[in-house]
Order: sequence, then structure tokens, then C-alpha cells
Amino acid sequence: MVEFEPAIKSLTAKEVDFVIIGGVAISVHSTGYVTRDLDFCYLRTTENLKRIVSAFAHFNPRLRGFPEDLPFIWDERTLQSGTNFTLKTTIGDIDLLGEVAGVGDYQAVKKESIIARLYDCDVRVLTLEGLIKAKRAAGRTKDLLVLPELEALREMLSETDEE
Amino acid sequence: MTEKLSEERLEKIRQLIMNPRPGSKVAAAKEFGIDLTLTFGQLRKTPQQRLDDLQSAMRGLEEFARAGAEWRKRNNGRI
Repeated sequence: MVEFEPAIKSLTAKEVDFVIIGGVAISVHSTGYVTRDLDFCYLRTTENLKRIVSAFAHFNPRLRGFPEDLPFIWDERTLQSGTNFTLKTTIGDIDLLGEVAGVGDYQAVKKESIIARLYDCDVRVLTLEGLIKAKRAAGRTKDLLVLPELEALREMLSETDEE
Repeated sequence: MTEKLSEERLEKIRQLIMNPRPGSKVAAAKEFGIDLTLTFGQLRKTPQQRLDDLQSAMRGLEEFARAGAEWRKRNNGRI
């Protein structure tokens, strides 16, 4: 299980450029979807990588699924060496993605995001449209199963839009 | 993101769920087996309340899994 509040507050406090994607974003949009981890898409500039390193350093991030004794240094050089990281931390499993299949890189994901107020922070969350594109592109059974609810939700919200 | 949907809008959504237009995505979701009344319940909440619900569900599942593991341990791996 992952603790959302410390993760989101820490990223926000360090002014990290990030967007919440995946199952948590789906839940924020009103479905009963249950996930086990917290997925972020992040901006891959050196400055932002430094902020991420600082935000998560006290959660002791390690690569998930690798032996505990495998050397792993949590710094911006490590983050520069890859794009997507699946991390095990003291507050749970956190995935960092440099891009989202079906949507694109961070700038494209940011364009497809809205701001939600979570834990007294303004946080970017992938839109329903973005989530639908991402789930379609991922194409796994577990992704496709959630599509009918997301598409129905998008339809209900767009047909009753008051703006 | 809207903090909370208005009662008027919620009522329109409720009508769409109760009387889905043939060929619509709402109708397709119902046909697929999705209980949209549960989705509607979440729509009444703020994004923070929805996230709190998810965190609570995760805690519950973890507790359930832990209890199951302890049970198997006490019963030599039998469920």
C-alpha cells in the first residue's frame, strides 16, 4: 500500500513538476477503482530531477523487484539514466514515468491535466480523456476493463457540463 | 477540477444513469456490467473525499491480506 499524503505533500513542497496518472487519477475522477501504487509522470529536466530526489530521499527509494543488496543510489544521475522507475519506498510503491503511452511526454501529459485540490495542495491530475487514451494504448486486460466506466463517466460529465 | 458538482447537475447525471440513451456509452457500460450507481456515489464527493475512500480501501485490503496470511500460517498453509 502507498500513503498518498506524504508523497503528494513532499512533491508539492519541493515544487516538483508532476502529474498524477494511473489508478489514483482514475479514483480522483469518481470511480471505485482500487490500485496498489501511486503513478506520476514527471518533467525530465535536471532541475526537476534534483527536486524529485530531494522530495523522496527521506522515503528511502529502492528499485522494486530487485535484491535488497543490489547497490542503488538515489540521485539525479540515476534518474537521468532511465525514463521510467518502479520504486519501493518506506511509504509504499511509487512509479515515476517520463512519458505515458497514448498521451506522450510530460508536456503532452501536462496539457491533458487538470488541477485538483488534494491535501491542501493544487495538484495536476490526468484528465478523463487522457486516462482513456492511456488505458487504450496500454491495452492490457486490466486496462481495457476500466474503459467502459471511464467512457460512461466522460459522457455523463460532458452531456451535463454547465459551462 | 470542480470541487463538488451541483445538485442540479447530479440530478441530470442520475437521470442519464436511470434512463440511458440507446447506443450511448452509459448504456454500453451498464450492458458491460458496470454499476454506475456506485460511480454516481463517488460523483457526489470532492476529489479529496474520493482519494480518502481509495486510501481507506487500500488499508482494508492490506488488513484482509495480512489476516489471510496469518490464518494460513496458523493452519499450515490451508485456507
